[in-house]
This record gives sequence, C-alpha cells and structure tokens, in this order.
Amino acid sequence: MTEFLAKPGVKNLHNKGEKLITTHCSYCGMQCGMHIRVSERTGEIKGVEPRYDWPVTLGKLCPKGVTAYQQIDHPDRIKRPLIKKKGKFVESSWEEALSLIERKFTEIQGKHGKDALSVFGGVSMTNEKCYLVGKYARVALGTRFIDYNGRFCMSSAAGGFMKTFGLDRGSTLPWTELEHSDCFLMAGSNTAECHPTSIQMFWKARDKGAKMIVIDPRETPTARIADVHLDLKPGTDSALANGLLHLIIKEGYVDQEYVDERCNNFEELKASVEEFTPEHTASITGVAPEKIIKAAHIYGRSPRSVVMFARGAEQQSKGVDNVTLYSSLALLRGQIGKFASGVATFTGQGNGQGGREHGQKSDLLPGYRKLTDPEAVKYISKVWGIAPEEMPKPGVSAYEMFDEIHNGTIKAMHVICSNPAVSSPNVEYIWEGFKKLDFLVVNDFFLSETAEFADVVLPTTTWAEDEGTTTNLEGRVIRIRKAIEPLHESKTDWQILSEIAARLGRGKYFPYKNPREIFEEFRIATKGGKADYSGITYERIDKEDGVFWPCPSEDHPGTPTMFKESFGTPDGKANLPAVGWEEPGEVPTKEFPLRLTTGRVVFHYLSGNQTRRIDFLKDQCPEPYAEMHPELASQYNMSDGEMIRLSTPRSTMELEVKLTKATRKDIVFVPYHWGKELSVNKLTNPSLDPVSRMPEFKVCSVKIEKL
Amino acid sequence: MNKIMYLEFERCIGCRACQAACRECGDHDAKERNYVEHVDFMESRQTFPMMCMQCKDPACARVCPANAIQITEEGVVLSASEEKCIGCRNCTFGCPFGIPKFDFEANKMYKCDMCYDRSKHDIAPMCASVCPSDAIRFIDFDEMQSLRRRRTQLNLVEGKKPTEQDKWKYVPEFFGVYSD
Ligand code: SF4
Ligand code: SF4
Repeated sequence: MTEFLAKPGVKNLHNKGEKLITTHCSYCGMQCGMHIRVSERTGEIKGVEPRYDWPVTLGKLCPKGVTAYQQIDHPDRIKRPLIKKKGKFVESSWEEALSLIERKFTEIQGKHGKDALSVFGGVSMTNEKCYLVGKYARVALGTRFIDYNGRFCMSSAAGGFMKTFGLDRGSTLPWTELEHSDCFLMAGSNTAECHPTSIQMFWKARDKGAKMIVIDPRETPTARIADVHLDLKPGTDSALANGLLHLIIKEGYVDQEYVDERCNNFEELKASVEEFTPEHTASITGVAPEKIIKAAHIYGRSPRSVVMFARGAEQQSKGVDNVTLYSSLALLRGQIGKFASGVATFTGQGNGQGGREHGQKSDLLPGYRKLTDPEAVKYISKVWGIAPEEMPKPGVSAYEMFDEIHNGTIKAMHVICSNPAVSSPNVEYIWEGFKKLDFLVVNDFFLSETAEFADVVLPTTTWAEDEGTTTNLEGRVIRIRKAIEPLHESKTDWQILSEIAARLGRGKYFPYKNPREIFEEFRIATKGGKADYSGITYERIDKEDGVFWPCPSEDHPGTPTMFKESFGTPDGKANLPAVGWEEPGEVPTKEFPLRLTTGRVVFHYLSGNQTRRIDFLKDQCPEPYAEMHPELASQYNMSDGEMIRLSTPRSTMELEVKLTKATRKDIVFVPYHWGKELSVNKLTNPSLDPVSRMPEFKVCSVKIEKL
Repeated sequence: MNKIMYLEFERCIGCRACQAACRECGDHDAKERNYVEHVDFMESRQTFPMMCMQCKDPACARVCPANAIQITEEGVVLSASEEKCIGCRNCTFGCPFGIPKFDFEANKMYKCDMCYDRSKHDIAPMCASVCPSDAIRFIDFDEMQSLRRRRTQLNLVEGKKPTEQDKWKYVPEFFGVYSD
C-alpha cells in the first residue's frame, strides 16, 4: 500500500526521519487534501504538510485543517472505557464495559422489546463506518430507531434535491470547474468561514470577471466580496427565491427549450411566482427592490452560473421549499448538466454526503434505497444474510427520537460520532431526554457534552488511526489513510460495533478484519441503488484522484457532472416547485421582538468538541457572543463588550455583545459551537420541516435585555 | 530562490490559517510570526495579513547591536540567532512594519524567515501554502507580472485609488505587494 502520493514534479518538504501519509482533513465537506507527518522511528505524529497536488484544494487549508493533527495525540483523549459508577466515571476494561452493554441491552430489549434501543449516528466518519452503523442498528440490535446528525445538517438539501431532481448528490458539477463559471448565486452560505478553501475557486472566477450574488442577513466575509448582497430577513428565503424567479421569467431569461424538454410543472411555477413582484418581495424580505432587480439581471444574463446554498437556507422549517426554489433558478436558466454550471450545496460534515446515503437515516438503506420499498428490503436483506421480515420498519427523525424517549418508547441509546447535547435545537429538552434514559452508551475520543450523560463511554480512534473512504461535497469518493496505530486502548467504531454485535449473538453478520472488507460488502450493498459505489475501489481512488458516484462498474468512469441527459426522477424530468412563502415557525412578538439566527465561525467545527480543545483555535474564539448592529444596540443602551441576556420562549442565556455594522439592524447572531450554559441551542426553535424534519436553527424570536 | 511572495490584501477572509500554519514550520517553535488584523470590525469584516517584507536594507538588522539578524544570500532576513540575540528589542522598534515579535520568557526576538527551510528549495512558505483565498502567494515572477498588469488594466477601467506612501521601495524584487 502506498502511503504517500505525489504527482511528478511536486515538491514537498520531507524532513529527515519523517514520512508523509497522504490523507484528507477530518472536518468539513471540503475534505482538503493533506499529508500527515509521522516520525519513522517512534511513529509519533509530527505535524502537517500541504498536499499541493490534490486537485480540489491545491494544498490550501483553513486553521482547523492546519491544526487537525493535534487531535490525535491530545491529552484529553479518552484512554480507556469509562463506566459511570455512583455518578462518576471510572476507567474500566473493555471486557467489563462490553459485558455491561451486553447485559443492559439484552435486559432492556427483553423487557420492552427490540425498539427500546436506539442508535444516534453521525457523518464525520468514513463510509465504511456510516454503512456499518445502519447495519448495526438493524441487524445487531434489530431496532427501527436509528437516525443521525445529518438531520441537523444536510437533510433539507437532500429532501429538496430528491423532490426536484429525483436524486441527491450535493453538487451537480465537479468543483474544479467553478473557476470557469460566470456567476455564483449563494444563499445562506458564509463559505469564507465555513468552507474556507472553496474561496480560492470563487476568487479565480472573479479574477476573470465572474459575478457573485450573496444572500445572507449578515455582511459576512463572503458577502463582502459580492457584487450584490441581498441582505434578507432570516426566514424569508422562499419569498426572495420566488421574487428572483418572477423576474427571470418576466425579463425573458428562461431557457424555454431546456425547460420544455427537461422540466415538469413550469406553468404552475409561473403562476405561483406571479405575485412576487420586486415590491412585494421586498416587503417580505426587507431587501431593497433595486438590489433584487440587479441580482436577477446579473444572474439571468450569465451564460454559465452556479446556484449554491448552505445551512442558512436549509435549516428552516421551509428548508426543503427553499432548496427546491433556489434550484429552480438553475433549471429555468437551463444550467444543470453542463460545464461550469449547476447547483450545489455546501456539505457541512466531512462525510455529510456519503454518510447520508447508506442507511443511517431512519427511512433509508445503503445505496440511497428506500426502506419502504420491498425490493430494496429484499436486496439488502440478501446482502446482509437476514430474512426480509427481520428488517425493521422506518423509525423517526433525530429530534423526534427524543420525543420517543420522553414518552417512554425508547429506553436506551447508543450515540456514535455525534454530540446532540450541543447540536440539537431546544437542547434542554435533549438533556432531559438523556437523563430519562435507562442506559446511554457513547462512542467518542473526547468526553463530549453528550458523553457526560452516558453510562458507558467507549474510546474510539480519531480519523487518522483508521482507514477508509469519505465522499466530499462534490460527490467524489476519496481515501482516508491511517497515519498511526490506535492510541491508548481506543478502538475503531467498526470494531466496537462488531464486538457488541458478537456479544448479542449476531457476530456472524459482522466478520470484518479491516475496513476494506466492509468496503467490499458496502460496494455490493450499493449496487443498483441510486448512490451506486459498486465500481469504486481503493486503487481507483488513488489512481484517479477520487471517483464520483454513481459509478456502477469498474470500467465506468464515474459521474463528475450529473444529469447531463436526464434527471433521477421516474420520468427523467426535473420537477419545478410551485410553493409560496410562509412565515417561519416563530415570528417576532411584542415580548420577543427580534430575530435570532445562529451559525459558525471559521475556528470551530460543529459542536466544538474537537476544536474547542485545540489551543490555537480556542485562543482565536474562546466563547460565543451576540453579534448585532450598533443601531440595534443603542436602542437598548448597550455598548460593545457588555453582557446581555437573550431570551426566547424556550430559555435564556447570557453573552457578551459584539458590534459591527456589517449585519442587519434587526437581528442577533450567535455562533453555536459551545455546550451547556454557553449553548445557543438552548434558545433555538425545534420547529421541523415537514419533509426533511430539519429543525429551524436559523430563525426564532428573541428578546434582549441589558444586564 | 526563483519565486516571489505576493500579497493581495483585499482577498483576505480573516481565517488565520496563515498564522496556524506559521506555527507549523519546523524552525518556528510553534510560535506564529505573522499578523492578521481587522481593518475596523465595526465597519466591515475586511482583514489583512501582515508579515516580514524581507527589506533590502533591513532596519531590524541595521539596528541590532549584536549583529544577530542574518541575511541569507537570497536576501531572506532570518530570525535572530538564538546565541547572539541579547534581547534589547531594538529590532521590534526599528522595523517600519512592526514585524519582529518578542518572547519575554526567553528574552529573545523572533520573526518571519519566509520558512527558509522551505523557500530555499522553492517550496512555498507555510502561510502561502495554506492561505485559502490566495491573499498570500508564492509564485513565479512572470505570474506576478501578469497579475500586476491585470491590476493596471482594472485601474484603467475603474480609476486608480490613492497611492500608499513610498515605504514599498524597501521591498526587494522577490517580494511582490499589490497596492493600488
Ligand atoms: S475544515 Fe474544511 S476547509 Fe478547513 S481544512 Fe478541513 S476540510 Fe478544509
Ligand atoms: S490565511 Fe490568507 S485569508 Fe486566511 S487570514 Fe491569512 S492571509 Fe487572510
């Protein structure tokens, strides 16, 4: 196995006595290429070296990527299994921890039935592991209650893509083409901070004259470089998108031939956007009509354009509608399936794409198969070697699992690669849920806020102590390499799941000796599904700089550009939506007169369980703050750096004020990477999207008080 | 060294990857030597990076009584040699760009050396390697010239902005700075 990959002529600094292991960052969906420096003699991790020849990111890294290796040999690593005894964690042996899990799981299922156990997965791990989590829940535990943290991340994008295109691949084009685009329309993405290494592509295109339209309530570092910044009120995306569609149609920018040939529902769309004149749109969104008109003309005139969106538009109770409407902008312009144009979402988690396709979702099986489809159940049962009748039925979404805990259906939970005690909305409800459980097992390598509630914590490896594949935000399947052997007594998630399965008498279904064996089974499981990986091999990934799914056979080149001829729907045509605008789940009232929105900072990743422990990142941003416009602050007689109290109908928290004019005057922004009393998710609204079950993190009503 | 350090301040997104990466350079003792500042956070989120300009006749070296700041044959102004630095801090005051930093515990100055162990082999310094927005680049001379030409073209279209003071005349040939 080659561990170091570099193209001819590429120079890297090889220090004497060190080897370089070629891999990718552990964090976001960009999955930036990097080499990890390892001492040849001691096997210790020494640092990072840029991977200049990774075609997507060209050696660039954000500060999280630069310091990612510091997680590996971090003093906070959980070294041995922990069992809570009399309210305190005590180190134990694997034997003791696994025996306890075996006894408790058996006992609880014996008393309350199979579905009393539940699994909460995550997608910051390899495809091999994500696939196995689904199999573990359904085959080892036999429960229908499995869901994952992608519900708080990518589910609206997935739902919107399924509805519109009949297939959910986060990007319809490879991102190496972005530099050739003429226009980017970006909604709800502060990509400069959340996917920093993508910014090089936008600058390259801008250097050649490309235009940028950024839709965001805040003038983020991304919005700062926009040609038009549409600074909408949080929660009004569908109105704005309808307003843009209205103008695209009215001004004659529709590619009628493309629409007639490849889209359904155009007349309905046309009728439903009729009322969204610039004035009407402006009255809902708070964006000046001239800016909406300017944006529509820029977008409409661009020969090659890409519509992009992220959690800002997706984490709303109308997230799916927002995605379908923004995607339609590209369809009306005939942009999908062509060079340097299309639609893309910025995938949040490292393997947010791959991890959502292979059966961690309550209603999905590997290969993006539907659990409600008897043929899919039959096929996967055969791959797994179980009887189709044994396959559990669909469960419920991530947040709704906590309803099932509160109403007593779920008695125990196994959390793998996730920290819902920070990342869920209305997080105090989640905390109560964890307390109500009879038994909670958490796999993690740092003691997360969720792990603190656990009865047993199992120490897993970091990403650099195991190998496997992930799927980046383009849909490109890539390889993660092992840099060192597992530290301390940690084990990989796939080993842990296999061992628990064995103790529950299901060991024969989990016979794996290494990730490659899981990958081989997983390839078969995806074969014939929508997300078909069956033609992808580890060797091909190395040779071809990753392979884009769908890739149904080993001689298939993979699919960098999607939907060239037809869409993934039964009739091959894209479905245009016809949806109006509705208020978000919560609107400002007399008591809670302002809008609160949440998001990320460049220095932290998701719930912060990893990045809050890295010195450099912690120093740059140690605590959350309430960012607002000085005009808003002065209405409350507040100045920069003062402490305030934020309250929503759910809870309250205290924060320092940070003032900037680079934001709307009627909103408060708080980053969400902290737990407990510093968690803004105490305040956020669990109003769920009817299709994707995505909570409305991005908008709720808030009151501010000076302290 | 056949490459040019090239800065384009307006591209900076304030991610501070350049600073995190600076700590990673083998000779840097896990201490960053560059700066990233907000122009004025109240007004805008614009940030800019700042690092050693590798001056032709460097003030820091000139004012050093111990002759501790060496200049390589390529013209790179190295960090003070550990043995020679007497901790007087003249360099930190002498530098027109305020670049040298001071380690009060070790009583020694430290500064950017353009990752000399990399740049002497034409491998990009860490900051320029990772900078996601290409605000800091390590590129060929020709590429820099064409970038500068493009700027001039844009100036012709959009009108030239007021010039900076003449401090850029200190900047040597292997260091390109874009300033309108
Ligand atoms: S966090 Fe994302 S952008 Fe930053 S280095 Fe890692 S993969 Fe790249
Ligand atoms: S890495 Fe580049 S974009 Fe980030 S702060 Fe440094 S100069 Fe700015």
